[in-house]
Amino acid sequence: MAGTAAAVCEILKYLIIHWKCETAKGALLEGQLVISIEALNSKQQENTLHCVTTIASAGSIYGGLIYRNFLKEMQSVLPGSSAKLNWTSEEVSYSQDISRVTPFQMSFEVDEKPRTLMTDSLVIKNFLRKIVMVHPKIRFNFSVKVNGILSTEIFEAKNEPTLNLSNGIALVVNYQHYMSRPKFGTTQLLCSRIHPVRGHPVVLFIPNDVAGVDLVGELILTPAAAVCPCPEVSSNQLMNRISSVSIFLYGPSGLPLILPNQEQSITTVFKDTSYFIDWKKYHLCMVPNLDLNLGRDMVLPDVSYQVESSEGDQSQNMDLQEQTLLLILFMDFHSQCPVKQMELWGIHTLLTAHLSAILQESHSAVQDSIQFAVDQALEQQHQVAKVHQKFQTSLPVAVNSIMSIVTGSTSYSFRKTCLQALQAADTQEFGTKLHKSFYEVTQQRALHCSCEGKQHPHPEKNDPEESAEDAQENSSLELHAGTSGLAASKKLKGSLPPAVEGTRAFRSAGAPSPSEPPLRRGEPPAASETPSGSRAGPGNGNCPEDALWLQEVSNLAEWLRPGP
Amino acid sequence: MAFAPMGPEASFFEVLDQHRASLLALLKRGGREPAGSGTRLASSSEVLASIENVIQDVITSLARNEAPAFTIDNRSSWENIKFEDSVGLHMVSHCTTRKIKSDSLKSVKNFALILKILSMIYKLVQSNTYATKRDLYYTDSQLFGNQTVVDSIINDISCMLKVPRRCLHILSTSKGLIAGNLGYIEEDGTKVNCSCTTAVAVPSNIQGIRNLITNGKFLLIVEKDATFQRLLDDNFCNKLSPCIMVTGKGVPDLNTRLLVKKLWDTFHIPIFTLVDADPHGIEIMCIYKYGSMSMSFEAHNLTVPAIRWLGLLPSDIKRLNIPKDSLIPLTKRDQMKLDSILKRPYVTYQPFWRKEIEIMADSKMKAEIQALTFLSSDYLSRVYLPNKLKFGGWI
Repeated sequence: MAGTAAAVCEILKYLIIHWKCETAKGALLEGQLVISIEALNSKQQENTLHCVTTIASAGSIYGGLIYRNFLKEMQSVLPGSSAKLNWTSEEVSYSQDISRVTPFQMSFEVDEKPRTLMTDSLVIKNFLRKIVMVHPKIRFNFSVKVNGILSTEIFEAKNEPTLNLSNGIALVVNYQHYMSRPKFGTTQLLCSRIHPVRGHPVVLFIPNDVAGVDLVGELILTPAAAVCPCPEVSSNQLMNRISSVSIFLYGPSGLPLILPNQEQSITTVFKDTSYFIDWKKYHLCMVPNLDLNLGRDMVLPDVSYQVESSEGDQSQNMDLQEQTLLLILFMDFHSQCPVKQMELWGIHTLLTAHLSAILQESHSAVQDSIQFAVDQALEQQHQVAKVHQKFQTSLPVAVNSIMSIVTGSTSYSFRKTCLQALQAADTQEFGTKLHKSFYEVTQQRALHCSCEGKQHPHPEKNDPEESAEDAQENSSLELHAGTSGLAASKKLKGSLPPAVEGTRAFRSAGAPSPSEPPLRRGEPPAASETPSGSRAGPGNGNCPEDALWLQEVSNLAEWLRPGP
Repeated sequence: MAFAPMGPEASFFEVLDQHRASLLALLKRGGREPAGSGTRLASSSEVLASIENVIQDVITSLARNEAPAFTIDNRSSWENIKFEDSVGLHMVSHCTTRKIKSDSLKSVKNFALILKILSMIYKLVQSNTYATKRDLYYTDSQLFGNQTVVDSIINDISCMLKVPRRCLHILSTSKGLIAGNLGYIEEDGTKVNCSCTTAVAVPSNIQGIRNLITNGKFLLIVEKDATFQRLLDDNFCNKLSPCIMVTGKGVPDLNTRLLVKKLWDTFHIPIFTLVDADPHGIEIMCIYKYGSMSMSFEAHNLTVPAIRWLGLLPSDIKRLNIPKDSLIPLTKRDQMKLDSILKRPYVTYQPFWRKEIEIMADSKMKAEIQALTFLSSDYLSRVYLPNKLKFGGWI
């Protein structure tokens, strides 16, 4: 795909990789980037817009950016020879010695058809949304001015709840980024978050026939799965049903690997919906969803599946809360040596070009890790559904019993008192109000997700300076959540990259275990017991609400376990 | 009502009469059981009003946008049970409680089932009909799951409303038997004479029986049905007439206990137990005398602290030279039960019982009443019991 969108996205990727390399390890990127496109009718061509795209930074993030290298890499992606790249920083650096940070501005010019510009705008917006999903403190100001008509949009997630990961990125957990608000009129969302569960990290092997690769380090894939919206969704007791799957692919530095409308060869491995995930165990039949609408005001997944059919009566039941299973695959590069920008850029290019082949090369381990994450995420949903079921069977019994006594009573004062208490004119209205108030009161309290209703984390809690330890702890919390009370978790082996070390650190706090490396191809996972009874306490790091959510799920698991 | 005139001469009952006199004297001196502080008899309208109050509280909570909850006494917690020699085991006045919340995942089902059973009780009382616990269970067995759930909730309701189960119009199924010098009229007007040759089933509505008549000199509670039948076969009730025999066929049901209590309250005749010389038998005897933990909230209506242990005493085993091959070694479970009984508060008040229990513990052996048959097949009814009763062989 050529055009403004590709250029903007590649430039942003380059800049963010550079930015990441210049930022302290584990710290979140924080700053603002302004992208503006000014399009005027071309004087040389009919039905063509002459577009000037400008990318600027407002803050001090691009010190040390070597213009020569930048230009060399960007020339290959700039759309055709008509593009002109202008660097208008205060000080253009041709040297590698400049370490002083300065704001910068660069622009390029392209001629495009109006429809192409419109598509490009949507592509850029989606790209920005994807970046903000994992870099919540980066603020993008994106404006498009076509023949004087300006539209501006800001993309950021600074004050939104996030889940810190250990490699300097944080996943936004506000569900509204991933799906529109459920359409059921009486639905009251009790939890606005998603609760990702991470799978164990997996080392990815590069196929022998992929040329030009000489990595001094390891490529690690870490999946995260979450049901969106939160299974504890509804106050009107709707049953939950997975209706679609959205897969997001991220490369090093938390950058999206592919663009919409891009050639989809790199995602061919996902065309087989069962290649990495066994859906049959959940009685789901997944088919690829090719109808991805760029115009949606939420992040567009890289790969999408939809449920074709499901067993049982649920498919006939219209009172269903549809949910999406989010699967986010983070691919990152870890090395004992400091990773250079060009190395990361090269890895990004490698992944972009050969993702399918790389994933296929490590199919077994990848499948195992993804399946684990998906199993945990769906198990949570399943348990919540069971809890809902308990309530749905119990409360009607209570309501009917009360009605039986009230309607059967011959005591005028008793009946009057009951009706007056609920402000009902007659027993029929009393029954309706009784039903309604019972559900409202009990559901709000009992199904209230422990992470809802809390204040949003203070900005300083997402402060990169304190996030290193907290990020490890929090990512470990989610991994622990995935395993607590449920199937045995899998130990990690060998020297762990930071993303995994945090997990080990958490585990060793509860029960010492030998260090183990991420799963490699051909190695079956060693099952082990999660430290029983270990629960994340409240107030851990940045997300005490997540710790409380973990405890809630653990409680659910215990309660639903058959007792003596 | 005429009873069979057979029986020993009047001098046979001298010691028994003295014992009865001492019991009556004890009652007059203030050993009488205090007024029931647990459940109390309530009229149907009172029961209906109690249930309506509960419902009103639930609705009031909902109107305040609060999740309703029931507060239930912890019936089966030792910390809520105390012992009084005049009563036995009964609940303390300010006991710990637990909440059955409607908005708790763990208790929402229990909350709903309590309301369900309350509504069923309401209907029973309103219509003046009765049902057993089993009947209630079968109205919706799938909902309740098992009988134990129903039984427990009924007891909780009884405790919560402070009304005995029979006032809730829930009957327990009787399994006990009566025989001997006793007559009464059941609530429906049926006249019952227990002096027939076959035993009479303990009625299911003890509260409703009236016009109790007896000349009985004592009431013998027999642990096992086999022993009870043996005594019937040996015509024991006539040989030692006038007397009454009752069996609960093991652990007694509520109605059997209520009957024993009613007979004591009405006639104040000496009551004795005939149980196996094993921990299980001793425990059954303690249930009659001092009550059980689970029903401690109704202790005042169920316990008869005046009960005495007639036999089979562990000391009788040695005294009668019962051969060792008629004895059975105590199992580990027996040992644990024995240790548990020794730790119970009421054993402190019964030094002679304690001594007997310690004899059993030391010998590590137990014996059934049937062990007496080694002496002769009718030794129990012909020699053992008459001697015990004539010469005051009870503790």
